[in-house]
Amino acid sequence: MIDRIVGGIFILIAAAALGHAYTLVVPFAADPVGPRVFPMIVATALGLSGIAICVRPGQITLEFGDWRRVIAILAAAIIYPFLLVPLGFITATALLCFVSALAFRARALPAAISASVTAVFFFVMLDMLLDLPLPRGPLGI
Amino acid sequence: MEALSLLLSGFEVALTPLNLLVAFAGVALGTAIGALPGIGPLNAVALLLPLCFALKLPPETALILLAGIYYGSGYGGRIASILLNIPGDPGLVMTTLDGYPLARAGRGSAALAISGIGSFVGGTSAVILMTFLAVPLARLALSFGPADYVALMVLAFALLTMIGENSPAKTLAAVALGLLFAMVGIDGGSGVERFTFDSIELVGGIDFTSLTMGLFAVSEILILVEGLTVGAVARYTKGAHLTIKEIVFCIPAMLRSTAIGFFFGILPGTGAAVASTVAYIAEKRVSDRGTFGKGDMRGLAAPETADNAAQTGSMVPMLALGIPGSGTTAIMLGAFMMYSITPGPLLFTQRPEVAWGLIASMYVGNIMLLVLNLPLVGLFARLLLVPAWILYPGVLGLSFAGVYAVSNSAFELLITTAFGVIAYVFRKVGVPIIPVLSAFVLARLLEDNFRRALTLSSGDPAILVQSPTSIVLWLLTVVVLLGPIFAPRLKSVIAEGSDPRDDRSSGG
Repeated sequence: MIDRIVGGIFILIAAAALGHAYTLVVPFAADPVGPRVFPMIVATALGLSGIAICVRPGQITLEFGDWRRVIAILAAAIIYPFLLVPLGFITATALLCFVSALAFRARALPAAISASVTAVFFFVMLDMLLDLPLPRGPLGI
Repeated sequence: MEALSLLLSGFEVALTPLNLLVAFAGVALGTAIGALPGIGPLNAVALLLPLCFALKLPPETALILLAGIYYGSGYGGRIASILLNIPGDPGLVMTTLDGYPLARAGRGSAALAISGIGSFVGGTSAVILMTFLAVPLARLALSFGPADYVALMVLAFALLTMIGENSPAKTLAAVALGLLFAMVGIDGGSGVERFTFDSIELVGGIDFTSLTMGLFAVSEILILVEGLTVGAVARYTKGAHLTIKEIVFCIPAMLRSTAIGFFFGILPGTGAAVASTVAYIAEKRVSDRGTFGKGDMRGLAAPETADNAAQTGSMVPMLALGIPGSGTTAIMLGAFMMYSITPGPLLFTQRPEVAWGLIASMYVGNIMLLVLNLPLVGLFARLLLVPAWILYPGVLGLSFAGVYAVSNSAFELLITTAFGVIAYVFRKVGVPIIPVLSAFVLARLLEDNFRRALTLSSGDPAILVQSPTSIVLWLLTVVVLLGPIFAPRLKSVIAEGSDPRDDRSSGG
């Protein structure tokens, strides 16, 4: 069943890609095939693979562990880019690492300490020692 | 002896203080990262790639560093396999079979020593073979026309279906998706935007670092935090040291395994997992007297030697043909492209300092690794004790910092997370992710050659199957794709070595 869904999604993506490739018409291309033939071949291959998966689905059992921990890390990772520039690298990264550490079953205090140390360590290493500019945040650090 | 004089000029590059330092940093870091459970060489190379680029290291120096991490991790990975019975990478599954029983029998240090020597023998012999084989192979590839390249790349994709437990259809779907991801952005041939969804950020295409970090680092952390894979308890006992007699006893096994490992390494698509499995099975056939699996030194030396020989071997097609031999070499190929260097036949004539500097550095690096891994192995073994809640948040932070350092764009971080989610779902439903990466890296080359071939023939597709080389390659592709249908045992023998939980079977 799961394999059929996977195959079905691949077929849908393939159809969408084919449709998009079909619209790629250029008045002049440097070569006889232009920009559309290659995507169309690839999309066809994807569609055929999807059909093959649907026709002969394997047995997969979806196993999920503690999915709330996955959501926690994902949420932190999605919010992180929006905080990075306003808060600066150190604060934003410390928050990211703090949430992730909690998700990896750390207790709050050790998680806070290790997250802050990690964030400062990366900032010193990357921004100061290796001279790769990272966002500095309101306090200038 | 043309190769020797070229190698000597390579040593002039490899022995400069900066490159020596970088090689040492690379192999030490590689050993350490290889020893950490859960972070394979692929993640390690991916994590450092943006840093090399952002630091504006010269290309040969960056590649010496990345290669050092790659083959260094082959040494480090054995530590967790032997002491904890946790293979950090599918190429190391076989190492646990006799390594862990040896450690339990109180011969942990001897097991680490013999496998370290095996890694050295495999790694160094493979570099020697590479020194003499890379240029002839590159010369052969020079005669390839665009149509031959198309056939060669299709064959490389077909070989990806041979490994792992994933169904061939899923592997092919992964290849197709990787190609589609690579097409996002402006088409070089016509200037038209493809698959950009009218987003300004996507006009420049999907960034290679965002893709790799997402596919590997982020998805790995999501898988690990779920807690389905549980680590065993560490036990590190010293016990009796390795004797000279035991080393001599293992030499024939090491030599056989070097040949097997190197051969499977240079085949694009297959890699360390297949090589170490075949080497173990072959060694068991030749020398087992009922001792294999219970702590036979040869059963440990064979897969370790093959693993390292295959890692080095997989760099041969990357350098000589521009086709990655494994997931990690696919990332290194991406590194070449970030430096606007085209790996492949012309690399040896146009940028000899890069090609030969890299090869020469691998001689030096393997000696450094032997020194690091025999007396100092206990130091690396301590890394097994770093708790997950310090390690993995750090990996996440570093991968985001790396993506940001290269792109200076917060949007790229969202792309990275998106690929992390895609790869997480793929791993859950058994779609392999390494083919996505290999296809992404090769897409441009494949499409360019495809269009060039059709330009030569004014649009007649028959040109794709006209040269003798391309006919041979297409026939091989058919054999590879249809072979498992007629000989199902072959696939199951090869698949035995792969970790069913993971798809890193192409050698990490």
